[in-house]
Amino acid sequence: MRLTVTLLVLIAGTVLLGAWCPQESQVGQEKVIEQFGADFALTLHNLGIADIFHTPWFLSLIALLTVNMVACSVQRVFPKVRSLKQQMPYLKGEAIEKLAFSSKLAVPLSPQSGLAVLDAQLRRAGYKTSSNGTRLVAEFGKFGRLAPTVTHIGLLTLLAGVTISSWTGFSGFQMIPVGGSLHFGSSEHSKLWIGTLPEWRVVVDQSRREDYETGEPKQWYSDLTVVDGGVPVKKQQISVNNPLSYKGVDIYQSSWALDSIRLRFNGKERRLGLRQMGRLQAAFLPLEAGTILIFSVRNQTQPVRVFAKTPAWDAPRMLNQIELGKSIKLGNVEVTYAGLIPLTGLQYKCDPGLPVTYVAFGFIILGVLLAAVPHRQVWACGQEASNSQGGSALLTAGSNGDERHGSELEVGALATVGASSATRAELGSSGLAEASSSALTDTILSVQADNHVAARLGLNAGSTSEGANGCTLFVGGISRKARTAFERGLAKVLERVKEEVGETT
Amino acid sequence: MSELQLALTNTAGISSVMSFWVFVGSNVSRRWRELLVKIAVVVMVVGFAALTIAIVARGIEAQRFPLANLYESLLWFAWAVMGGYLLLQRSYGLHQFGWLASLTAATFFLYGSWLPASQHDITPLVPALVSYWRQIHVPPLLMSYASFFLSGLAGLAQLWQSGRIRSVGWALAALAMAATAIGLGTFTSVDTFWLQGLFVGGSIAGLTGAWLSLKHVSAKRVNPKAAELYDDVAYRCIQIGFPLLTIGIITGGLWANHAWGTYWSWDPKESMALVTWLSYAAYIHLRIHRELSAEKLSVVTAAGMLLTLLTYLGFNSLGFGGLHSYGKFK
Repeated sequence: MRLTVTLLVLIAGTVLLGAWCPQESQVGQEKVIEQFGADFALTLHNLGIADIFHTPWFLSLIALLTVNMVACSVQRVFPKVRSLKQQMPYLKGEAIEKLAFSSKLAVPLSPQSGLAVLDAQLRRAGYKTSSNGTRLVAEFGKFGRLAPTVTHIGLLTLLAGVTISSWTGFSGFQMIPVGGSLHFGSSEHSKLWIGTLPEWRVVVDQSRREDYETGEPKQWYSDLTVVDGGVPVKKQQISVNNPLSYKGVDIYQSSWALDSIRLRFNGKERRLGLRQMGRLQAAFLPLEAGTILIFSVRNQTQPVRVFAKTPAWDAPRMLNQIELGKSIKLGNVEVTYAGLIPLTGLQYKCDPGLPVTYVAFGFIILGVLLAAVPHRQVWACGQEASNSQGGSALLTAGSNGDERHGSELEVGALATVGASSATRAELGSSGLAEASSSALTDTILSVQADNHVAARLGLNAGSTSEGANGCTLFVGGISRKARTAFERGLAKVLERVKEEVGETT
Repeated sequence: MSELQLALTNTAGISSVMSFWVFVGSNVSRRWRELLVKIAVVVMVVGFAALTIAIVARGIEAQRFPLANLYESLLWFAWAVMGGYLLLQRSYGLHQFGWLASLTAATFFLYGSWLPASQHDITPLVPALVSYWRQIHVPPLLMSYASFFLSGLAGLAQLWQSGRIRSVGWALAALAMAATAIGLGTFTSVDTFWLQGLFVGGSIAGLTGAWLSLKHVSAKRVNPKAAELYDDVAYRCIQIGFPLLTIGIITGGLWANHAWGTYWSWDPKESMALVTWLSYAAYIHLRIHRELSAEKLSVVTAAGMLLTLLTYLGFNSLGFGGLHSYGKFK
């Protein structure tokens, strides 16, 4: 257990370092050097911090945590499922009084009918109850106890999924000009990889960018055709957040740029590479004697502007602009703007472990949601009062926690439990279900009385009845999850019982 | 930003400040305490309602889910802190906790209002954010941050009620240094290296101080009942926040897989969310196995609060980079 926490903290620390330092495997060493300077970057590199998620240190931490998790799951977490089937033991009065939250309430009824009233009120409060006539047990949120099991199953499944992915999956990224095609030859995959890369390819037919009115990019689109065995088999337009899938491979739109401009000079086509100039893109065409023609474009639809720079001019001057598909005369040359060639950034991946990973996600989410459900247990016992007291004493007590209240429990043993201490710090040692070795110890520890709560509720001792039909109800409790809410809820239930049948003093 | 929205947001901000002062004022006179606390809660409810409408109005005005930049996320965070407190107040009857919650909300409002106008304006979305996953991924995370914050505050209250005044002082010093680092990182151009140092160094020093001074107990300030109550509140908040964080991280993974083909890429913010997740997982394991006293667990919740702050705001304002920037605002 200590090992688990130590490992969690060590991994957290390692990931923190990894989050702080840009990772070479993602952004390249250049970025690390730029951020920290060459010397410090080299130190980081040598320490492994610049690629921390591939260091033996991190991998062995993960391996240790995995082993630890498997061992804990099998030994402690999974066996808890069995406890779901276990019946709560019926406790007698003295045992109930020793529970952390306990109270006595006197009612003018027989033990059986007193319990029946309580039973109904507990059901109203969402408890599942069962009774053997003079004793009653009630439980709330029992399935909440499955939380650790479900979460751990999820985490182990996640590890399985990630392993499958890294051994059988591949991925990569390519910038492809319109007309070009995507192959999988240069894919990244792990050293332990099993399988063959696909032969088919994807042709980029068209690609465009859609802008907001302000000129900020809104969406990027690419029209793709899958060519398998020389035959086009699938056509689809993809965009960011809207990928293409074919034979287990997904292709994503991940970036976009303009590659070059197509111009015709007197009918002769020429492609000029575009360079980013602020928000514009520009192509440069050097002419004789230091004169340069500059073609500047904003996007695929607006006209291209033509500038010229000669040694005599300080700055380029605009000569003219050309609409898409139109021509202008520059001296004796007819220049036609035939369009732009975009470059589309395609990310692709094949991940056979993904279904397993998704199942794992499902389990983990379910598990952590269950963890928020508090498990609450209530015991009650109606006792025929002695002659001097008359009436019957109805005892209820509750416990809220993950403690195992095994039915193998000797109820009498509870009586050996010592009195409670008020602070949570000391109660801290109580109810340590998972950590203790035997169910008996657990329950004994969990069963410390907490007189404070009872005193606050004003329902406690002193109200013990003397007269005929007198009856007393004990309330107290300990809860691991939402303890206060549990104690308040149970007190309310008892209030309702009191309202319904009246209290004898 | 429309007039209505501005008015509503201001109402919420002013309400949080007012309810803070009324909460503080309620300590002055024993006679008026009950009434003043009630008033403070009502003021908080008004602010919460105004903020709810403000967020909805912003969504309608922008014709999109109103959670797309830092400013909007701060509104959501403040909303969740206020709502979370009101829920706790209802089910636990917490009184004095209110001024901590309203102070937190007010601080975040103030931080939000100091952000440049570009953050307040409704701007179109960058391609990466045009997805229905945005409204699935982000709100659980902000609510989990708010829960963790409330849990950290409850942890501080627990320490206070158990007489660990010195520890509270240390933890508050750590929080103040972290907040200073974030403030400087957002509004000035101080070198991020120093700010990171201030945040991390301050947190480590403050928490170590808090931990080591746990043995100093001011006996006359010990209130075991209240301490126990706040301990329960802190744990309850984590029980709510942890599933939300898990859902946020996993839906983020699903979104990333949908959009980029990989559900995990060790982006700094992703890593940081994982660090927070691991830390709270450690807390839960410690809690289940009762290895630490309630006071030590409270220090752990304070540490968790600082980590949450680092995840939520630290990474953007202290220059860690990555995909999850809330837009440039310097």
